[in-house]
Amino acid sequence: MKDSLYTIGYAGILGTLCALLLTGVASFTAPYKANNARVEEVLSILTALGIPHAPDDSAARLLEIFDANVREARQGDSTIYIYASPEGEEEPQAVALKFAGPGLWGPIEGFLALEADMKTIRGLTFSHQEETPGLGGEIGAPWFREQFVGKTIVDRTGQPGISIGGGQGANAVDAITGATMTCDKLEAILDGVISRFVEERHEGQ
Amino acid sequence: MKDSNPAACSACATKGLCGGKGLVTLKDGVWTVNPLAIQMLGICSALAVTSRLESSLVMGAALIFVCVGSNLFVSLLRQYTPHRIRMIAEVAIIATFVILFDQFLKAFYWDMSKQLGPYVGLIITNCIVMGRAEAFALQNPPVLSIVDGLANGLGYAGGLAIIGLARELLGTGKIFGHTVLLEQWYTPNQLMILAPGAFFTLGVVIAVFNALRGPQDEEENK
Repeated sequence: MKDSLYTIGYAGILGTLCALLLTGVASFTAPYKANNARVEEVLSILTALGIPHAPDDSAARLLEIFDANVREARQGDSTIYIYASPEGEEEPQAVALKFAGPGLWGPIEGFLALEADMKTIRGLTFSHQEETPGLGGEIGAPWFREQFVGKTIVDRTGQPGISIGGGQGANAVDAITGATMTCDKLEAILDGVISRFVEERHEGQ
Repeated sequence: MKDSNPAACSACATKGLCGGKGLVTLKDGVWTVNPLAIQMLGICSALAVTSRLESSLVMGAALIFVCVGSNLFVSLLRQYTPHRIRMIAEVAIIATFVILFDQFLKAFYWDMSKQLGPYVGLIITNCIVMGRAEAFALQNPPVLSIVDGLANGLGYAGGLAIIGLARELLGTGKIFGHTVLLEQWYTPNQLMILAPGAFFTLGVVIAVFNALRGPQDEEENK
């Protein structure tokens, strides 16, 4: 009995000490990690919008480019990122929409950029995804993302949405073999953000 | 592992700080029973993160940090740890050090953290760390355990550095991203960057290691 109590006590104290230490470290590093996440998001937006930046640009430089070229604006309930010069009265060159939703294993987050006509896709990037490496994880690969460039966000009948693995069409791209669930979920996320964007745009006009 | 590590058994008998076992322990970990090339431990991460020298070095540093830290604390607590839950206690200590390093990378070395992906977290399951805690730190005083952790960490890190250097040099013609082998006369061999390159390089490292170490140790072990 005494032995068991000692064992439980030992485990409790050791566990508590480890947990306290890790909590301390986690809260100490939290602001740095938040900053890294912000830079990652900014990089994702810049890439989606096709704003020139060097691959080895420092974090501070990326934020500088972002602030100089991108304005955040509200449209309905969502934030859109507008690519325009800071003087900014002229027509925007492109806009980026943030999308987020459940993937197969974890959240998928990223940005969909549209040309000035608000119909043609300019770029697609993912700032966060945890899909199976080599299968669903391929959504982050350039070959998959580049398929979207030049596609439209409406089908022939004018219905908003994108079709992944839906055959031919101005709004259809190839799916990934062996990643059906990831592709279906990504399609649902993109459809959601596109139809909301189109709806809110009509309301705004 | 027991037979191949005489220091682990004899060091208990000696008195004093390292009892003259420090050098033997150091040589054991780095050379005689090198965890990577002789004991074949930690192969998974050695194959996965060595496509570039920089990531190999960071991974080696992570293992040295974790191995030294966990060995020290397992050794300090060895007389108080109930035998029944000693492995759980070891894993708790190891996991704490691994998460510490991982958090540090995520906060201050973000690019490297992305490159290493899950492999820093997977150090928790690295056989070298758990093996040293179980086979050495539980029976030896703290200072000697630190030496042992350092030695095994260095042995692993050294192996990784050699593999990382060979793969980056032959695969891209660069070291630390600086071109060393000029493109005019050297065509980078992509195979070295891919997974098979890691297997080939590790095989060569193990062969060379064993050839240099000589056959006499194998006789002793039998």
